[in-house]
Amino acid sequence: MATGLAEILDNFVKSHNDRQLLALPLAILAVALIILLVSFVRTGSPVNLGMDFQGGTQISIETTDSPAVLEKMYSSYPISDARQSGSRVIMDFGVMDSNKQDQLEKDIMSRYSNVQIQQVGPTYGKTLQVQAIEALVISFIGMAIVVFLLFRTFVPSFAVILSAFSDIIIAAAFMKVAGIELSLGTLAALLMLIGFSVDSDILLTNKVLKRRGTVEDKVSKAIHTGITMTSTALAALASMYIVSNFSYLFMSSFTQITLLSQISIVLIAGLIADMMNTWLLNTGILRWYVMKPEFRGRYNR
Amino acid sequence: MSDKKSLLKNPRVIIFIVLLLGSIVAIHPGYTPGKGVTTNLNFGLELEGGSWLQIKLVGTLAQIDADSGKLVSGIVEPIIGAPIQITSNSLDVGGATNQSVTFTTSGTVNSSQLDYLGTVNVDKLSGNTTQVTISDISKQSLIVSYLSRALDAEVVPTSTQNGVTYEIRTSVTEQKLESLLEKVGGSIHKNEDGTSTYKEGVTTATRDLTKNILSDKLNSLGLKDIPVRTVGDQYILVDFAGIDLATAKEIAEKPGKFEIRIQTTGNETEHVLYGQSVVSVGIPTYHDQQWHTPFTLNDEGARTLQKVALQTGAIDNPESHYLIMYLDGVKIYGAPLSSSAAEKLRESPIYSWEASTGSDDAAKAEATALQVHLRAGALPVNVELVGSGHVDAGLGAQFKTAALITGFISLIGVAAVVYFKYRRPEILIPMVGTSTSEVIMLLGVAAIIGWQLDLASIAAIIATIGTGIDHLVIITDEVLHEGKLPPSKVFKSRVGKAFAIVLGAASTNVIALSPLVVMGFGTLKGFAITAIIGVFIGVIFARPVYAVVIKELLHVDENGSASITE
Repeated sequence: MATGLAEILDNFVKSHNDRQLLALPLAILAVALIILLVSFVRTGSPVNLGMDFQGGTQISIETTDSPAVLEKMYSSYPISDARQSGSRVIMDFGVMDSNKQDQLEKDIMSRYSNVQIQQVGPTYGKTLQVQAIEALVISFIGMAIVVFLLFRTFVPSFAVILSAFSDIIIAAAFMKVAGIELSLGTLAALLMLIGFSVDSDILLTNKVLKRRGTVEDKVSKAIHTGITMTSTALAALASMYIVSNFSYLFMSSFTQITLLSQISIVLIAGLIADMMNTWLLNTGILRWYVMKPEFRGRYNR
Repeated sequence: MSDKKSLLKNPRVIIFIVLLLGSIVAIHPGYTPGKGVTTNLNFGLELEGGSWLQIKLVGTLAQIDADSGKLVSGIVEPIIGAPIQITSNSLDVGGATNQSVTFTTSGTVNSSQLDYLGTVNVDKLSGNTTQVTISDISKQSLIVSYLSRALDAEVVPTSTQNGVTYEIRTSVTEQKLESLLEKVGGSIHKNEDGTSTYKEGVTTATRDLTKNILSDKLNSLGLKDIPVRTVGDQYILVDFAGIDLATAKEIAEKPGKFEIRIQTTGNETEHVLYGQSVVSVGIPTYHDQQWHTPFTLNDEGARTLQKVALQTGAIDNPESHYLIMYLDGVKIYGAPLSSSAAEKLRESPIYSWEASTGSDDAAKAEATALQVHLRAGALPVNVELVGSGHVDAGLGAQFKTAALITGFISLIGVAAVVYFKYRRPEILIPMVGTSTSEVIMLLGVAAIIGWQLDLASIAAIIATIGTGIDHLVIITDEVLHEGKLPPSKVFKSRVGKAFAIVLGAASTNVIALSPLVVMGFGTLKGFAITAIIGVFIGVIFARPVYAVVIKELLHVDENGSASITE
């Protein structure tokens, strides 16, 4: 798969001019931004905020009762959702006072086994929201500074940063569309994406700016290495996604691990976006830049 | 053969092997029949089962000022129930050591009502006018008593570089505080940049005191291994391994039982008061060559103590009637009444007490411990439960197995892609070997520093496998130019070039995750630290060795056999 995909991409890049390369990734970036903007206007937040950021209680239990039965059973509590997940049911509750909370916890603990409870207070959720935005911004700026220090020229650095920005936006839009909530786990995935998505961009830019050879040749080599890199990372993440979601199908004693499943799916979406952004968007800008007449082929020999 | 030997002489390879073996020793895997596989690794609550509580400390910090005359009126008038006229006031004289304030009133004044403010002198003047002088008084103590009365909360002043910051141990809005201060001609200070000094939260000292009280309390219940961690200045996180959520909440909320008893005859003691009579406990101070822990009793407590001291004869003979303090039935402090206190008790009850412990460092420590004990497990500030969680032990075990399998399958998935791409075992084996060693070293570090592995850390380890291999692919492709291994000189320069990319990529990885290390997200801290340590291990120890190993293996192969097919 890896080699085949690299060939296809390589040929595509060779047979299209810089402007054509930019068209698709920029169009997708625009769509992703619109999705986030519409969500922001409608709900006040670009992505759906999970319990970690809104406050509430999530309880996951092992049971043969159906979600509908459970939803009815706990209707005296502010239950907002109950869903099946393998042999388990996950229930989401809104914010409640501490007496009610204790009562609910005692009731659950006495009835069910293999219980997992997570509770977040609404004020703490608010604090976390602010911190999450701070973390994303600081992380992105930090990455941008490192990229500038690495290449010390504006356009190539900008191309790398734009490509990373697009990765995050597309991953976030994917979360919105696929109904994945922003939790601490998915926040970690987005931050990780900021760091990891530039790996292939750095590879590309380094090869094109700092090596000898024709630009076409250097880009082609970078694509082959880069696609191998991304496919190995995807292999690790896909394994993580499959095991965390579907292991209970093979062994009934296993359980879904929501945190691992969320981290992996967001990273997978981001890395797929990254393949497009690195090899079309970043390559397009970089190739236009190094072929500018003022460099007199400095990067192309 | 000579190549293999030279490999083992390479210092990088030697360090790598030593570290790898060291990690295995640190992890100390073993198998005990009946117990299954054992290791030195620590697992977090998610994987071991247990519960955790996240607590927010409620408080307000502000730098404030007020008019001293109005403060005195604002404090005294409600107590004596009559208006007062200030006749002299040295409170605003800067640097004055013996500050005092004098006022006259038509109301009746009992000196004991006001003696918590300072030394009180009451003189009957002509007619029904009374003149009162309070000396040994300060504006700071006036602000403290005014606010603590108005808000019914403890107020603690602390000196900082920019002046005195008052910590109000309850939640109060900026508007409410502002309007309270307006009544005494005061306001909240502004910072130099014009922002208000008002801030929600507590001081670091208070946070640490709260943490110590909690730890102390949990330890006194025989729960030794409960880690109490502070997160930022406002949050405390408590982990209860193997305890369910309901029990955890009960333990954290239940105060200890504090009691003061008095020695009657010989070893016999008599009950004086319980912890609820102690209304406030101060910070230990050093004066008169002794460390002291100040505390205040309520009216009932102060009167009972006076009555018992009179009955038992402690006032006449303090030395044979020690006052002894107990926390949950364990003696924590004992001392006789001081002669001055004994004399004073003859006349009236004493509200403000000090327990002295001695002059050396041990005494200081004892005074600090006493400060914690006197509170009897009652926390100095109000707390709000902002987060909690619970995982059953059985579920934790399932998570652990599933996480282990996930890691293993990820490694196989990665190996499959690598094999598909290169189709050469001489590349596949070192690559997978390097990646596995990175994980082992990462776990070794975790075992040595006692890091608690949770699900987030395991996600980080798996992500490390993925990116670690990425960097090995960069090195491999750079070195294997068109499938052939170059001569040594060229090889070195190519490895150098590959590392330029690898180091660049690694530094963005570290930078992007570092905000999580500093910020207060509980679980994500583990994720970020694990991933960052993983990147460092990979870049510094494992990946350079991979470059050396792959050179030797491919070199031997190219000379020795004809297995190169490309």
